Amino acid sequence: MMSLPFLLFACGLGAAWLRQRGAAMGFWFAGLVVLLVLFRVHMSDVLNIAL
Amino acid sequence: MPGDLSRLLNALGLILVDTVLALAFVDQLWFRDLPCPLCILQRAAFFAAGFGLALNIVFGPRPSHYGATILGAATGAAISMRQILLYIVPGSGAYGNDIFGLHLYTWAFIAFVLMIIGSAILLLDDRQFARTEPWSTHLNVLPLTAFMVFIVLVVGNVISTLLICGGGLCPDSPSGYLILNDSLSLTQLSQAF
Repeated sequence: MMSLPFLLFACGLGAAWLRQRGAAMGFWFAGLVVLLVLFRVHMSDVLNIAL
Repeated sequence: MPGDLSRLLNALGLILVDTVLALAFVDQLWFRDLPCPLCILQRAAFFAAGFGLALNIVFGPRPSHYGATILGAATGAAISMRQILLYIVPGSGAYGNDIFGLHLYTWAFIAFVLMIIGSAILLLDDRQFARTEPWSTHLNVLPLTAFMVFIVLVVGNVISTLLICGGGLCPDSPSGYLILNDSLSLTQLSQAF
């Protein structure tokens, strides 16, 4: 699951190489959304910053 | 600023991103400093930010490409700031090795902020977007190298992350390559029977 953003960005770069700009932007957007979801999953712990 | 100069500056920016991501691999493979889940997400954010630079190289500069870079870098800055805050209290430790007194996540935050500022500065010049003739599909050596290295690094990260985390979420403090250890355990298990 953690490799999914990399995979989506790789697909986007492949689309860019094939000069499919719309598909490349779509893969980039999907990768960013997955990245944000994974970040949300990993920031469930409360920060201990009390002095 | 003419469009060709803009393309060159984007290629130089992408080479800097390539260098950061390659150094992360050196730290992982040479110094055996396995990335934590947040470190992996910061790597992914570098790809999200560098993606806009890569699109500028291939398709020519467009505001939406700079937007992609800024959004990717802002996401990365949020992730690295979260990791800085995890260890902000004195005595709460740190993750991984430090370089010149700062840990990798602190350097990552600085890099993401610089990417946002750099993109904003490049966006200031409208002349790069005024080109009427189509962009050449032929890439010079520098942009082509930056783009190809970027692709190699993203594929490398797909493989590396699969090896460390398997198909699920990563352990908080990885001690080895999960898939290789699992394969080893399965081999030992099959030998035992």
